[in-house]
Amino acid sequence: MAAFDYRQAREIRDVFGSFHVRYLFLGKSGAILLGYPDTTQDADLFVERSPQNGQALVRALRQLGFALTETQAGEINRGKDFVQLKNGPFDLDLVFAPDGIERFEDAWSRRVEVEGYPVCHIDDIIASKAATNRQKDRESLPRLRSFREYWLKHHPGS
Amino acid sequence: MDFADLREMESPTDKSSPIPPEWLAEFEAAARRPLETRLRYAFIHTYKPVLDDEPFRAFATMEEYRRWCETNLPEWLGYGRV
Repeated sequence: MAAFDYRQAREIRDVFGSFHVRYLFLGKSGAILLGYPDTTQDADLFVERSPQNGQALVRALRQLGFALTETQAGEINRGKDFVQLKNGPFDLDLVFAPDGIERFEDAWSRRVEVEGYPVCHIDDIIASKAATNRQKDRESLPRLRSFREYWLKHHPGS
Repeated sequence: MDFADLREMESPTDKSSPIPPEWLAEFEAAARRPLETRLRYAFIHTYKPVLDDEPFRAFATMEEYRRWCETNLPEWLGYGRV
């Protein structure tokens, strides 16, 4: 499996856009889109849980090359809290109920657009990482919080 | 603790502290790079035992996922809760 790259990020943006999927980049991949310098292994997408969005998401994923069985498509359609995909051109984590963010609509209203990529606000990214209480997230939080200060200074009003 | 408390804890406006100079230099350097370059250097792929061994996993709840990580993944991957 090759690493996720710019071309694939663009494909997600374009294909999800064409199927009208409501989603946001979350996690470290979201922070990186905002300008945070770090490395990560996969993209995390916070997806709105609704029947219509679930169906659009499955169609978009298949178009991107994810080999979903009907059972798997059903699980995505039903919006399980967390789906891990490694059966496509790149690894993708679909999160329907991230820790630390109460409702998709709230995160959507605070989103930041970066060259057409819908990204969670840095506060939501930090809130979700903090809420997981995982070792690997705890270690990244001090630098991420410093980035938040830097980012807010350069994006007043955000 | 409810959601509002958590957000207050995690995004306080009164808790700003100086950004360490080496981090500041990294943030400024990243801001000068175009998005394509940033993404090219950001995504890496290394094999993660167990986690990478199944093409598809779905969890009904985040709690179920967290418990699965703690039970099945090597501790050094860092997916366990503190």
